[in-house]
Order: sequence, then C-alpha cells, then structure tokens
Amino acid sequence: MIEVRNVHKSFTSKSGRVIAVDDVSFTARDGEITGLLGPNGAGKTTTLRMLYTLMKPETGSVSVDGFDAVRDAEAVRRRLGVLPDARGVYKRLTARENIEYFGRLHQMDEGAIASRIVLLSRALDMNDFLDRPTEGFSQGQRTKTAIARALVHDPRNVVLDEPTNGLDVMTTRSMRQFLEGLRTEGRCVIFSSHIMQEIAALCDRIVVIAKGRVVAQGTADDLRAQTGEDNLENAFVKVIGSDEGLHS
Amino acid sequence: MRMAVVVTVMMKELRDLFRDKRTVRIALVMGPLFMPLLMLGIITMSEKRVNTQLEKPLDLPVVGSQYAPNLVKWLAGQNVNVLAAPADPDGEIRSQHRDVILSIGKDYPEDWHKGIPARVEIVEDSSRRDAEIPVERLERLLKTYSTTVGSLRLLARGVSPSVATAVRIAHRDLATPESKRGLALSFLPYLLILSSFLGGAHLVIDATAGERERQSLEPLLATPASREAIMSGKIAGACVFGLLALMLTLAAFKISFQLFPQSGTKLDVSIVTMLKLLLVLAPVVLLGTTLLTLIAASAKSVKEAQSYMSLLMLMPLVPTILLLVNPIKDQVWMFAVPFLAQNQLIMKLLRLEIVTAQEWAIYLAGGFGLGILLWLAAARLYHREKLAISA
Repeated sequence: MIEVRNVHKSFTSKSGRVIAVDDVSFTARDGEITGLLGPNGAGKTTTLRMLYTLMKPETGSVSVDGFDAVRDAEAVRRRLGVLPDARGVYKRLTARENIEYFGRLHQMDEGAIASRIVLLSRALDMNDFLDRPTEGFSQGQRTKTAIARALVHDPRNVVLDEPTNGLDVMTTRSMRQFLEGLRTEGRCVIFSSHIMQEIAALCDRIVVIAKGRVVAQGTADDLRAQTGEDNLENAFVKVIGSDEGLHS
Repeated sequence: MRMAVVVTVMMKELRDLFRDKRTVRIALVMGPLFMPLLMLGIITMSEKRVNTQLEKPLDLPVVGSQYAPNLVKWLAGQNVNVLAAPADPDGEIRSQHRDVILSIGKDYPEDWHKGIPARVEIVEDSSRRDAEIPVERLERLLKTYSTTVGSLRLLARGVSPSVATAVRIAHRDLATPESKRGLALSFLPYLLILSSFLGGAHLVIDATAGERERQSLEPLLATPASREAIMSGKIAGACVFGLLALMLTLAAFKISFQLFPQSGTKLDVSIVTMLKLLLVLAPVVLLGTTLLTLIAASAKSVKEAQSYMSLLMLMPLVPTILLLVNPIKDQVWMFAVPFLAQNQLIMKLLRLEIVTAQEWAIYLAGGFGLGILLWLAAARLYHREKLAISA
C-alpha cells in the first residue's frame, strides 16, 4: 500500500520558483491499479519521483507499506519495483545481464535471480531477445527489459511512469494483460499516463492531476457522478479545465 | 554501505567497458605502446643529434681568413671544415643556412704582431638551440688556440706559462651515471603521471555523466543500493582499469628499454623499481578518478565534463614547469604536494637514489588522504537530487 499525504515540491528555474507538485494526496491499495492521469507537465513524474525516494518532498509525506520515504528510504526502495520516466538499459549488456545486475543490487542470490528471470521472461514474452545485447532493441523490447529489471526482486508495490509510451498497439495490449496479472497477484500498482483511454481501460481508481494539484479522484463512476457527465472523456476535460494533452 | 554492492557495481562497469572493444584497445594497447615509442624516439633523436654535431667535421665559413692564415690552418687540423666566406654572413645566420660563422677583422695581423689581443668574432643566433653545440665547439677551439699561443709567447720570453694562471679550475662531477641519464628523461614523470591521472577518464565520465545522459542512472538510483555504494563501485571500477593501463605502460617501458639498451639510457627498470613506481602512481589513479567523478557528477552533460579535460591535462605539468624554471632541491614538504611529489619520487627511483621511509610515509599519507577527501566530496555530490535527472 502506498500513501501520499499533502506533498509539495518546487524547483528554481531561470524565470523564478516553479511549483511542480502542490499538495498532492492519494492512496493506492493492494490488489488495485491506481492510475495517475494528467496532461504532460502536470507533475506526475515529480510525484512519482518523490514516491521512489529520488526526490524529497518539501512538506508532506510518502509511505510505502508503512515505511516513510524520507526516513526509511532504503526500506521503501526495497518494497518498490520502479519503471522510471528515464528507462535506459545498458546497451552493451544483454537483456538477461541487465536484469541480473539489478537482481544483484537487490542482493538476491543467483538462483533466485535465474528463476525470476524465467518467470518474467514468460510473462513479458521476452524469450526471443533475452540473450541479445540490448543495442538495437525496439522501444517495446527495451521497455520490457526495463520492466523485468524493475520487478526482478518480486516487489509488493509497482510504480510505472508512462509504461506504454512509444509502444505499438500489440505491445500495449500485452502490457495491459501483464498489469492485470500484477493486480491479480494482489500487488499495489500505480501507473501514470496522459492517455485517457488507457487509464479508463485498466484502473480501479483514478487520480487526475493538473498543474501540480489533484483535481479529482475516485473510480470511473465516481468521476462521472462528480462531473455530471456520462462520457468519461468529457468528465476529464471538465475537471482538468481543457483537453490539452489528453490524447495519444 | 555494503561491500557486495560496491563489487557488483564495479564488476558491471568493467564488463560493460570491456565489451566496448575499440575504447579498450585505444586505452590499453595504443597508450602503453605509443608512450615508450615516443620516449625512445625522442631520446634516440637527441642523442643522435648530439653525437653527430660533436663528432662530424664542423662546417665553418670564415670571413677574412686571409688575415689569420695560421689560425685557419690550425682550425682545419681540428676537425673543422673551413669554408669560403659567404657574401652576406649575417644573412646566412638569420636565414639559418649556417649555424655559426667566424669573422676575422682586418686589424688582426697588426694586433697580433703588437701582442695586443687580436679580435675574432663568432657570428651566431643564441636563440637557436640546434646551433648551441657548433657555437660551443668553435668557442672552445678558439680558447684552446689562444691559450696555446699565449703560453708559447710566454715561454719565448723565458716566463713559465703557469705564472699567468692564478687559479686552476677543475670539476669533480658527483653525478652518478644513472643520474646523468635521468637528466635526459625529465619529461618521463609527466608522461607517467598524466597517463595514470587521466587513464581511466573516459570510463569515469561515462559511468556518471554518460549513464545519466543514457537515462539509466535514475533506475539505478531507484534500487535499494545506497548512492555511496554505487559511486564507490564506479570509482573502484575506474581505478582497476586505470591501474591495469598503468601496469601495461610500465611493462612496455621495461621491455622497450631492455630491448634498446643502446639508447644509452640504462635506467633502472628492474621489477622492484617498477613495483615502486606503481606504488608511487597508484594515488594518482585514485586522485584522477575521484576528481573526475566529482566533475562528472556536477556537470550537466558528458560534453561539459569532457571540456574540463584540457585543464586537467595541464595540472601534472605545473610542477614540471616550475622545476624547470626554478629548480629547487628536494625538501620533505614536497612529498605531500600532489604531482610535485610524484615528479620527485619518479626521478629519485629512476636515478637509483634512496627514498627514505619518512618520505614514503608523507607521500602515501598525502596522496591517499587527498584521494579519500575527494571521494567524500564526490559522495556528497552524489546525494544531490539533480544528479539523476537528465532532462
């Protein structure tokens, strides 16, 4: 379970102070997929970065399975599988070696790493390219490698920043099935996207973020009821205030 | 910080690097091979120049040779090839056609007969280093001629020539043959220090700034591994690579100096000395990698980090230049100053001088101490939030 409570984050830029995340709160429960929906630049990535301890919130707190992300950063990272916005893989290593490296950083033993790779490779359909150097991989193959790498330690909580970015229709479909599999296993899954259809198809709960603030959250039905719109897309446009960046 | 994580990161960096065959070939084969060849080439060239300039007949155009036929005849007997006077002696020197020209004035015969010192002129360009030896040869010959004739004159007047010599100067040169050889190699320390200082540079810059640019640093920092452990693993990997390059360089030096002993520089290239050199240069490897990690962690891009390289390449040169301009004798404090210390120690070792235990202690404490300080500073930088984010 992941709880985000009133977090703030701002950056200094040339034009002055920019507030990236302004008082964001939400809870992601185990066995559910929580979707973070918002236009590009809404603060989704920054929120997630505070979640996986890359950044510290200025105020507010983040806890993962009861561990505080600032005080127990290492314990939090242990419980998280993270696919960040930046998902570079080492191109001179094979997909398997990339995954093994992260397994060792999680201090798993070699046997456990090998059996996890068998499992993940089957679930993500990676057998064809598992032992090839990742140089020259397609976007989909790279993303699959990065996801397998993030989940090698069998984490209870999974955070994916725009996992379907740049993937073709077939790969997106199999990714969707994979995420549903994670939910069935009882994991807590958070994933962010700027594509409304994707969030609507997968998520149990939706958190809509715009300009650094949570503008609406709940199930799809909650959102429809809140806005008085039957069509989910119209509901989103209404809460965000514009339809900017909501399409793929 | 867990050692297992440090080792995991180090092994991955080395494996990643060794897959990049071209970079490895340049760093491990070209460098160690090129440097000894360059050294040997320069040494052979300078020795050849000195030998030929000292031994081959000196080509000497003489202006006004008719005024001093005896002098000219004597010179011809001293391995000098007397040539006819050129039309424009000054122009010949300026245009570097001739190294040196002797000019005899028309007052020479008159002064000679009166017993007044007769005037001869050496025409030269003192800023031309390649003309130094011919000029010196001519000057020495003229002095010898002057003393010989002067002594004969005194003898003819019944006076012992030794009366005219109040003081007799003799040199007792205490330079050992080894230390004289060391003189020819004053730039060897720079080459060795530079290659250990920046030998692993590309690996270090690539491991921090490059990893961020390729977007793989953020996932790495999202693992439970602490940032110190990740950074330390990267530094350790670069140090291992740097030491490997250094060992190959030293081995290449040893082999090439043994293969070409005629290059006159029978330096001490025994295994023991090579191991001591390795010990002297090991802190430099640490210094280079930690300093570069510091730079790469604070730079915005690989390009920015690399632009510091030209500045870093000059750093080991500073003490060499200072010593060239203002030679000072060894003092204990020097062994705590980076680059200066290595410079002094390498020369001492190659010249077979004794390095005292105190000097070793100061040196190693200073070198590794500074390395550890930089390591800590880099660790602090690795904790900055901005580090992971490339956008």
